[in-house]
This record gives sequence, C-alpha cells and structure tokens, in this order.
Amino acid sequence: MSGRMEETGPAGRRAALMAGYRPPAGAYDELLDADGTVRARWRPMIEELSRLSAAKVEGRIARGDEYLRDAGVYLRQFGSDDAERVWPLSHLPVLIEDDDWATLVEGLAERADLLELVAADLYGANRLVAEGHLPAGLIAQSPEWLRPMVGVEPASGHRLHLVAFDVARGPDGHWWVLGDRTQAPSGAGFALENRVATARVFSELYGRTNVHRLAGFFRDFRENLQALVPGGEGRSAILTPGPLSDTYFEHAYIARYLGMTLLEGEDLVVENGRLMVRTVSGLEPVGALWRRLDASYADPLELDDRSRLGTPGLISALRARTLSMVNALGVGILETRALLAFMPRLGEILLERQLRLPNVATWWCGDPVAREAIAGRDDIQWSAALSTRLPYEGDQPLPSHGFAETGAEAEHLRRTHPELFVGQEIVSLSATPVLEHGCLATGQCSLRVFLARGPDGWQALPGGYARIASGEGGAASLGKGGRVADVWVVARAPVERVSLLGTGQAAAQGPRQGALPSRAADNLFWLGRYIERAEDTMRLVRAYRVRADEAGDEDTPILAFFTDYLTELGVDTDQRLPEALAQTIGSAVFSASKVRDRFSVDGWAALKDLSATADSMGRNADLSDAGGRIMGILLRKITGFSGLAHENMYRFAGWRFMRVGRSLERAAATSAMLCALFDEKAPEGALDIALEVGDSVMTHRRRYSLEASAASVAALLVFDPMNPRSIVFQVAEIDEQVNLLPEGGLMGRAADLARATMRLRTALATAVPDEVDTAFLDRVRLELEAISDHLGRVYLA
Amino acid sequence: MTMRYDIRLTMEFAYEGQSGGGRHAIRVLPRSIDGVQRLVAGHVDVAAKPAERHERLDFFGTDVVDFAYDAVDGDLVYHARARVERAARRIDLASSASLAGLPGELAKCAALDALAPIHFLAASPWIAPDAAVARYAREVAGGRASVYEAASALNASIYRDMRYDAEATDVNTPLGEAFAERHGVCQDFSHIMIAGLRHLGIPAAYVSGYLRTIPPKGAVRLEGADAMHAWVAAWCGTELGWVEFDPTNDLVVASDHIVVGYGRDYGDVAPVRGVIRTAGSQTTRQAVDVVPVAQDQERP
Repeated sequence: MSGRMEETGPAGRRAALMAGYRPPAGAYDELLDADGTVRARWRPMIEELSRLSAAKVEGRIARGDEYLRDAGVYLRQFGSDDAERVWPLSHLPVLIEDDDWATLVEGLAERADLLELVAADLYGANRLVAEGHLPAGLIAQSPEWLRPMVGVEPASGHRLHLVAFDVARGPDGHWWVLGDRTQAPSGAGFALENRVATARVFSELYGRTNVHRLAGFFRDFRENLQALVPGGEGRSAILTPGPLSDTYFEHAYIARYLGMTLLEGEDLVVENGRLMVRTVSGLEPVGALWRRLDASYADPLELDDRSRLGTPGLISALRARTLSMVNALGVGILETRALLAFMPRLGEILLERQLRLPNVATWWCGDPVAREAIAGRDDIQWSAALSTRLPYEGDQPLPSHGFAETGAEAEHLRRTHPELFVGQEIVSLSATPVLEHGCLATGQCSLRVFLARGPDGWQALPGGYARIASGEGGAASLGKGGRVADVWVVARAPVERVSLLGTGQAAAQGPRQGALPSRAADNLFWLGRYIERAEDTMRLVRAYRVRADEAGDEDTPILAFFTDYLTELGVDTDQRLPEALAQTIGSAVFSASKVRDRFSVDGWAALKDLSATADSMGRNADLSDAGGRIMGILLRKITGFSGLAHENMYRFAGWRFMRVGRSLERAAATSAMLCALFDEKAPEGALDIALEVGDSVMTHRRRYSLEASAASVAALLVFDPMNPRSIVFQVAEIDEQVNLLPEGGLMGRAADLARATMRLRTALATAVPDEVDTAFLDRVRLELEAISDHLGRVYLA
Repeated sequence: MTMRYDIRLTMEFAYEGQSGGGRHAIRVLPRSIDGVQRLVAGHVDVAAKPAERHERLDFFGTDVVDFAYDAVDGDLVYHARARVERAARRIDLASSASLAGLPGELAKCAALDALAPIHFLAASPWIAPDAAVARYAREVAGGRASVYEAASALNASIYRDMRYDAEATDVNTPLGEAFAERHGVCQDFSHIMIAGLRHLGIPAAYVSGYLRTIPPKGAVRLEGADAMHAWVAAWCGTELGWVEFDPTNDLVVASDHIVVGYGRDYGDVAPVRGVIRTAGSQTTRQAVDVVPVAQDQERP
C-alpha cells in the first residue's frame, strides 16, 4: 500500500496510474509504442481508469470477484489437497486490434489444417514415417498414438473439430505458437466467465467499445456439433470424466450455457454399433460427442482397461461410423512436444508452403544434426520429447523411463538416450498491464485461441482467454501462480451483438435435448431423499436437545426412549453435529455435484452454504447449542434450499424425480417415526415428539384438544390431505408426479409403478383413522419401499 | 517337420447371481504366419445367448471376437476349437545383429506396420521400467556379442533363477514384484524377460498361444500346457528378424508352440478383455487340450 501515489486531479491520477508500469527491455509492449505513447486500442481504457480513483477501481474489481464467487467459478486442483481454488482472474483484459487478430487467426487456421493432415496420415497411410519425415520411434513410443484407431475413418470426415493454440508475441510483435491443444482443449467455458466478470468490472466501457462478442462462436459451435450427427438421428452431447476432473466446473457450465446433455461414460452403452444413452425413457441414440475425457480412458475394451470412466465398445461405434467425435480419439499425439521440431517441414510437405506462423524453436535430440545445432547454447530449455504439456506447465516424468528431466540423472540420460529429449528456445512474452491496488503494474501474457470447424472452415473464438504472469521469466513463469485474463478483440467499427440468452428465436433453435439420462435422474432422486433425510434428522435432534435441556441432569423415561430411537437411526446424540447428519448433507452435496449442469447457480450456492455452515458449527465448540439452536440455524438454511428448488426450478422430468425422492423419504420417515411413537411401550410425551417433528404443534392445538392422542396425531400426520407433513399428502404428491414421468401411468412402461402408488393411495383413503396401529404403518412403509423399487427398475437402472 | 494340432479351449466365467450387460473381446484363435503356422479351421462360441457377436482383426493382426450381452445369468462358458499346422522356423544364428549394431538397424526402420520392431522397444502399460530387472539384464546379457546370444542368455537365466509357481502370482501382479520374489507363471516370466530385453535396447514382444499337452516320446512335459501359454519374441536385427523364446521352459520355440497373437504385453493379447456389470464376485476356469493329429486325418 505504501506504493500508492498522491492523487491530485486527473493528470495526477494518470501519472500515478502509469507509474508502476515498467515493461522489461526487449519485450514487445502491448500498451505503449516505441515512443512511450499509449497505443490507440488502449486509450479508452486508460482514460477510463484515469477518471476513477484507485479506490473506485478496487471497488469495481470487487464487483467482478463477487460475480465469480456467486457463480461458483473454481478450479479443482489435484496434488495439493484436492482444494478448490477461486478462479484467478486478472481483471484488466488484454486488448488486441482486430486486424492484428485476423492475421493471427489466419495463421492458426492454416496450422489447424496442417494438424488435421498430420493426424490423417498418422492414422492412415503413414507416409510421413515411411518417407522419413517423422521418426517412427517418436510415434510408436508415444502413449497418445492409439493403435486401435489406426485405419478408423472418422464419420465426420475430420479428426479435428475444436482446437486451441497457446500463442505469444516475440520482441518484434510477431506471434509465435507455444503449443497445440487437440486432445480436449479446455478453457472455452472459462473464457465466457472471464468475459462476464470483466464486463462487470468495466461495464460502461465495455458497452461503448467495439469488442467482438463471444456468444456467436458458441451458437455456431452447437449447431455444427448437431450437424455432425451421422444421418441426423440422435443427439449431440458432452462427455465428461465427472466431478473429480479438474475442469468439471467448465464442463457443467458450458453444458448449461449451450443447453446440451452432459454425460459420463457410465451413462452410455453401445448397442449394435450405435452409441446409446440410458435415459428415463429407455435407450436413445447419441450421434455426436464433444469429448472432454482423455482418449485413453474412453473405451476399456480396447484402450486402457483399468479405466472406470469409459464406455466399453465405444470404438466399435466409431468403426461403424455411427458416431462423430469432437475430437477423434488419438489426436492427442499431435500435442507431443517433439512434433514442434517437425512442424515447419511438415508444412512444406503437406501444404507445400512455409507456415505463416512459426512455433517456438524446437530441436528433437534424437537427430544428431539437431543436437549439434544447440550444443553449448544457454538459452535452451530441455524437456521430455514425448510430453504433451505446454512449455510452462512443467513436466510429467518421462513415460518410458520414469524419472524427471532435470538433475544429474537426467543429464546422464540425455547423453545415453538423447531421443527422449527436446531442446526449446526460451521464449519471451509480451508485456501487458495488470491492476494492482488500483494502479497499473507489469505482467506478461500469452493467449489461448480456440478454433472450431464450421461448414466454411475454421472460426475463432474472438478473445476471452489470456494467461498472465507477473514479473519476468518468459513462458516458464506462466505456470507459477499465473493468472487468467479476458482478451478483448477491439474493432474500429461497431460489432455484431449476439447472445445465447437473447431472443425466443435463438432459444427455439436449441438442440433436441432428448430424454433425461438415467444417472442424472438417479442423482436428483437421491438429492431429494438426502435433503429430506437431513431435514428430518435436524428436526429430530432439535426436539431431542430441547427435551435434554429441560430435563437437566435427570434421566427421564422419554429422554431415554428418544435416545434409543435416535441411536437406532444411527444418530449419536452426544455429538454437537451428529456424524450421521454430516454424512447425509455430504451425500446431498455429492449427488448435486453430479448434476451441476442441471442446477441453478443459486441452488448450488445454497447447498454449499448449508454444508459449510454445518461444518463450522460442528467444529466451533464455543457456540451455544441451548435449546437445539444449531439445528434451528441449519433448518433455516435447508428450507432456503428447498424453497429455491420448489419455487424456481423448471418442472422438467429431473425436478419430478427430486420431488418424488423427497416425498418418498418424508412419508417413509413419518411412518417409521409414528411406528415407534405409537408403540404401547412408548412413554408419555411420545406423541408430542411426533407433532413437534412433524411441524404440526400449532395446527393440532387449533384443531384438536390440548392433549394429543394417537387418533388426533394420526388424523393430522397420516390422513390430513391439507397437511404437507402428512403421509396422505406426500403419497398424493408421489402419485401425481410419477404419472407425469415419461411413459408414466397405468398403460405405459411404468404400469407397475403407477399401480403401486394407486394401491397405497387407495389403502390410505379407505383406512379408518382410529384403527391406525403399528402394523398398518409397517404396511405403509413396505408399500413405499415397493414404489421406490419400481421407480428404480423402470427409470434409474 | 510340419505338425498338425487340434486345439480345444474352455474358458468359464462364473458370476454370483444375475449380472447386468457387458462386453467381452476374446483373443484365443491361432493366427496364420507365413511359412510357419497356418490356421486350417477355427471357431469360438459361447454357451449363452449373446446380444451381438462380431469378428475383427486388431492392430497387431490378432483375431478378435467381440461378444455383447444384455444380461448374464450365472455362467459364461467360451469354447474354442481350432486345427493348426505348425512348422519350426529355421534359425541361422550367424545372421543375428550384434548388440552394438542394433540401434543403427533400428534407426533405419521407417515403418509402423503391425510387427515393426519399433512398437516393442518402449515401456508399455503392463511393462513399466524396473531398475532391478534392468540391472539383472545387464549382468546376464549385457556383454554378449549378438542380440540372439543376449536374448538366449536372459532366457536361460530367467528359467534358472525363477521358480514356477501357479499360486504365487495372479494376472495383476506387477512384474517387479514377481521378479523380487523370483516366482510366477509364464506371464510373469515373459514380462520380466521383455522388460530386460527392452532395457538392453532389444525390441521384445509378448506372445500368447498354446503349447502341446503331451510331449513327444522321450521329452519332458512342459510347464504351461494345461492353460493358455505365453512367451517372448525378440527382434534380432533386420536379417534374422523375430526369434521366439520360452523362458518358462528355457527353449527356443519350434513346433510345440502355437501362436495366437503378438502384442507389447499381456494387455494387447489377453484372452479376455472387457467388463460385465456385476454386483457379486466372479471366478474363472480354463482348460486346454492341444493334441497332435496324424497327417492323413483330414477333418477335425
């Protein structure tokens, strides 16, 4: 903070703003030209920042961060402690002029075409190896060259449909490619989030600057993906490794944004050479998959057989050409670092011209001439030839030898096995301003540019994603605590404005979503059950605590009875936050995490809040729990979530499964509780517990005498159709919802289910309240279980 | 002399109770090899009703039969029958590349076709680098002049130093563990030898196949004849090419071995790959019969 300058008037503020920006000598400067003048594309931004005080700028930044926190944008990081990290946004975008951008994109499109040709050759004729343009060993030893894919022609006619490139500017301002991303390029979803957050920070400026919009790219991508479905029969979907993947947030986000189905390997099955998704309406065909799963996990039958993430037989669907894959399995080979050494030559052979864009100078050390060329140079970085990581991402151990690439051992290996190494020139990055304490500081940047194949060739996502390193150190520094920024491609003339959320017409053009995947339905059903189970446990524990407080040290019969009942449910009454409750909440969060693409941002936030609150209350021993206060707080949190789910969620099939889960759980819990409390041996006061847990004390007082009897409690908690806590109410709800499920009702596939709900409804309607006893309640419980079983068999298996 | 065999194989998978659907890829039919082995006739079947059945050749040229099931009730029993002609290959020891000259020969190999040596040089999913095996291979074979001699020495020493024990390891035991204990079955012996050869820079392939059940008169019964067998192919340079060694029995493969397929390791040629969705456990049993038939007996 001591670095802050005195701010006196606009001129003073501008001087203070710029004072800390000191680009390193020799690097291209994004902000200032050779004379130290602010480049034209930056002028409005600098003027805007000069008008605002440092404190105001910080306030704006807080607005952007608030958005990211609310939206739940995070990165899951492996290795550390599985912690989720808030998205590290650097708030000042990188500005690029659109003609400069167009030149860059032209060069990248050419490179994408070349990569497509290389992939076609490596999985086809293998001319490049046969003619000696690529060393056979490099391909054969790469774990990314997938032998089962050799000779498999892609249904779409292409192996690459979405690629990304990391590019940086050299000292002369020309662009260099740092690496090619072809396997399953990530970051396009984060680009959208960068844009939304950054547009919040600079809302007015963004509104009046001609910044190319991102939505058009995604709209076209979605349409193109659906067009890849062979014969037009079947849906397009996104394939994710699931919530444990480090970019799952992005998968769920983009699925929600594009309105596409998010699938995991276990959702899918191959039948007669077609890929099918298990849905609540049975098997439905999938014709195009946007794959976010690494290829080796995709099919345990023909690829890595230890994979639990894949779909056995997937490759047979590709062979049958009934499925288009974005991108094809096996194109990960194109990310091999050593290939960068050969790309210029491959361009001459396959495109018959010099590539417009160079890549970072690379030498494959298996070639004696290349070794000679870089011997003794000190501006060379050594790394694993077969690595598929980007230069700044560090390195995995050498796949064939299992040790690291630095240190004495590596140096020895470099002499004995030079073919395992590449040397790369250390790249400089361009300098770009970043914001620190409301003023400019110096960062270095590289861009990630996404290209998608359309009917008229490659189309670029115009901006959205840059990596920012602070200080010096070139590309190597990007990995260490790097941040991410939006990229604004600035036009001189107004730009086309598209939004996926815009007109009704755009919405109508959305892809055919098809039926709900069974796994999603299953998770929503269990989410409903867990939420209700958690709420029920909270009510029970609160009722218990109130009685324990009243009793003091005295061991009353009702307390002993209550303790026994809770113990039977697995609840330890001595724990501040009973372990059983914590587990139930954890299960609810886990179920929800598996269907985040179908969940509103607010709903997810409410659940996470509940879980965090429970966690902190369990740990904070200083917090008073008099009168079951902790449970009271948690109850208010959980009803917040329920309210959201009830008031705001669209009534799609998934919502119905969640609703049925809740109702089943509540009806079952109520009958179980009444069964225990109606027991002849239950002590006095047992019926009061039922009313309290059933949230019906006041209604009982108003409608019946002060004294609770088995008959009055049963009338209220079993038979009252107006009471949402009653079994009848919940069973009616179940009956209504299951009849609205796909092919529900007495005539459909789910006839057994419909009959079971009707049977129970009838039994309850024709029962005599005075005759309700434990045997009757037991029968209700069994019927509820039967309903749950039918539901599982028909829809969730 | 050309031998003629009738091969019968039974593989049984018993599942506890009713299982869900799934797929199996079966690799048990002998392949044909120019001048050495000819598949006269062969067939794989299952004693259950598969929803689908497809045949194909995999990358390495092995015959694969894919079975898909909607549901499996109880057991899956595969039966394979094949008639094969098999001759010993003549090996001219003098034509082996020298150990020192091998890298030069490999550098000239500009091919990625199925049995190009370059596939079999690097670590593979089931054969991770192992420092102890590397040291062992260097000590036993590192000083030999020719590739054939080096492979032969490693073959003999693995046979000498390892104890055949069908109970000691299972299909998932890492080769380093089997080597540390110096025990295992043909799969372990072969993986260890392949790892050793690759450390010496010699391309080495895993061979899956059969062994004749009853030895010729006067010969001892070989280990591994009552189930599918595995051995090793070592690439001895462009001229001599692939030579097959059986480290479980310390011999160079002649006409008692019948090849099903070649791969980088067990994973590429496993008799069964795939998953059946099952809640309970599964048990497997295998029985093999490899019987020589007289030349005049025409049909199996």
